[in-house]
Amino acid sequence: TSSSSSLSVPSIQLKSMHFDLKTYWATLIGEINHKLDQAVPVKYPEQIYEAMRYSVLAKGAKRAPPVMCVAACELFGVDRLAAFPTACALEMVHAASLIHDDLPSMDDDQSRRGQPSNHTIYGVDMAILAGDALFPHGFRHIVSNTPSSLVPESRILRVIAEIARAVGSTGMAAGQFLDLEGGPNSIEFVQEKKFGEMGECSAVCGGLLAGAKDDEIERLRRYGRAVGVLYQVVDDLFKAKTQSEEYGKKKKKGKSYVAFYGVEKAMEVAEDLRANAKKELDGFEQYGEKVLPLYSFVDYAAEGKFSIDD
Amino acid sequence: DNNSNNTKPTFDFKSYMIQKADSVNQALDGAVSLREPRKIHEAMRYSLLAGGKRVRPMLCIASCELVGGDESMAMSAACAVEMIHTMSLIHDDLPCMDNDDLRRGKPTNHKVFGEDVAVLAGDALLAFAFEYMAVSTVGVAPSRVVRAIGELAMSIGSEGLVAGQVVDINSEGLKDVGLEHLEFIHVHKTAALLEGAVVLGAILGGGSDDEVEKLRKFARCIGLLFQVVDDILDVTKSSKELGKTAGKDLVADKVTYPKLIGIEKSREFANKLNEDAQEQLAGFDQEKATPLIALANYIAHRQN
Repeated sequence: TSSSSSLSVPSIQLKSMHFDLKTYWATLIGEINHKLDQAVPVKYPEQIYEAMRYSVLAKGAKRAPPVMCVAACELFGVDRLAAFPTACALEMVHAASLIHDDLPSMDDDQSRRGQPSNHTIYGVDMAILAGDALFPHGFRHIVSNTPSSLVPESRILRVIAEIARAVGSTGMAAGQFLDLEGGPNSIEFVQEKKFGEMGECSAVCGGLLAGAKDDEIERLRRYGRAVGVLYQVVDDLFKAKTQSEEYGKKKKKGKSYVAFYGVEKAMEVAEDLRANAKKELDGFEQYGEKVLPLYSFVDYAAEGKFSIDD
Repeated sequence: DNNSNNTKPTFDFKSYMIQKADSVNQALDGAVSLREPRKIHEAMRYSLLAGGKRVRPMLCIASCELVGGDESMAMSAACAVEMIHTMSLIHDDLPCMDNDDLRRGKPTNHKVFGEDVAVLAGDALLAFAFEYMAVSTVGVAPSRVVRAIGELAMSIGSEGLVAGQVVDINSEGLKDVGLEHLEFIHVHKTAALLEGAVVLGAILGGGSDDEVEKLRKFARCIGLLFQVVDDILDVTKSSKELGKTAGKDLVADKVTYPKLIGIEKSREFANKLNEDAQEQLAGFDQEKATPLIALANYIAHRQN
């Protein structure tokens, strides 16, 4: 195409308004839920598998990490079958982090996604073990189920390293620690670690599986990080509006943009993140319409419509 | 014919152990450096570098060398296995689990850093083990590294280590716990990771499928052996000798081999497992198998 980038940006944004996000999401989430259900079968000792399934298959889960991973893989024209095992693994390690974050010694949260949190049902000991089991279960799922005809082993190694880095001591675990500790760390840093890492990792894994070039991976990294934080800021804004009193109490132990900067400034932050995420996608112009799911994902995160049919 | 010229020099197991533990400790020290946030990395290092015997890393390296690989090919896996072993101890010691104050002769991780940091440090070690294997394994084809990572994941998850812990927790205070049940606990809680260590080494060292399976059987036997000996030591040694709380299995009303079949029968069982283990090594180059044979004997006869 001969159109300059300054012309192509609005045209892609225009198209994204017609992209049927709801069908795309509903279909993809259906496939992911089916695969997750198969990925964690119940065996002896049943209790641990039930605890794992309780969090992984939670009804209120938006499946944002797996959807972003699949969409990023499809951007480069690679079949989503290449991405499903990693997409499921992302949901498993995400669930593991959330189970541990909710523990009494951590955020002490009684509920998650509108359901009682894992340890309130299965006990603190089983909740710790369910998390400990979900991390390796995710890695094993990638290794055992990624079709070798679509993804060479060298890429699988990069995906595993990427996920491990994202949840590890300089990623999500660091974010959770700094959040618990309070102290002088900037809210931006804590939020990027706690929520940006998962988005970043999800987008990057999709690109790695598809064999994207290094500069494309870096672009996906910045895009995913912005969307991950955006998702959380919008969620904070939404909660601040709908449950102001309870929200103030519950968030005492953690930082949020809204609590820290107030609603006005948080809305500005959200707009900036939305613009930045889309600006990164402009660099994928050459892939034409395949970039539309990732565009509409940004709007989906920004508009805070969290009630797509489960 | 001078007999002494033909006699091979006897294998010096003690210096072998010291030399391997040194290289492993050095690699671990370098792998988990003091980054930001400092406290998590201090907590990770506190337990990881607390001077364990490094039996699992040694098994991994010895197994790799047995099938013709060299130490450097197995070092990342050896470290990964130790990171996961350490992580499982940190979480196992938590108040909601075994509630232990003492480990390897030092206060447990949560006693020093708090429960929240102990949970996170464990999670971080678990994740880093996989990152380290994926990134830092050298001289091995990616297909073998991927296969080894799959084995590691299987040995520590809900089909391995965690399954053993779950059944162990559920068994406390139960009246009718049979041998089969006890064996399930040990095969998963202890033997799975020892098996993982050996199998990872064999895969990364370039072992054939047949060699990998023989070494897997070897590892299963010594894994169970490890736990039978642990049970015996728990009732026969003091806390000071063990570097951890002795007799805690009795206090916690946990089922053990000595409780089920008595000390003497437990010792006989241990000997049988050691024999079965060493039988698996018969087909290998006996000189190269020496370290594994010595390790099996060490596990059988250790005093702490």
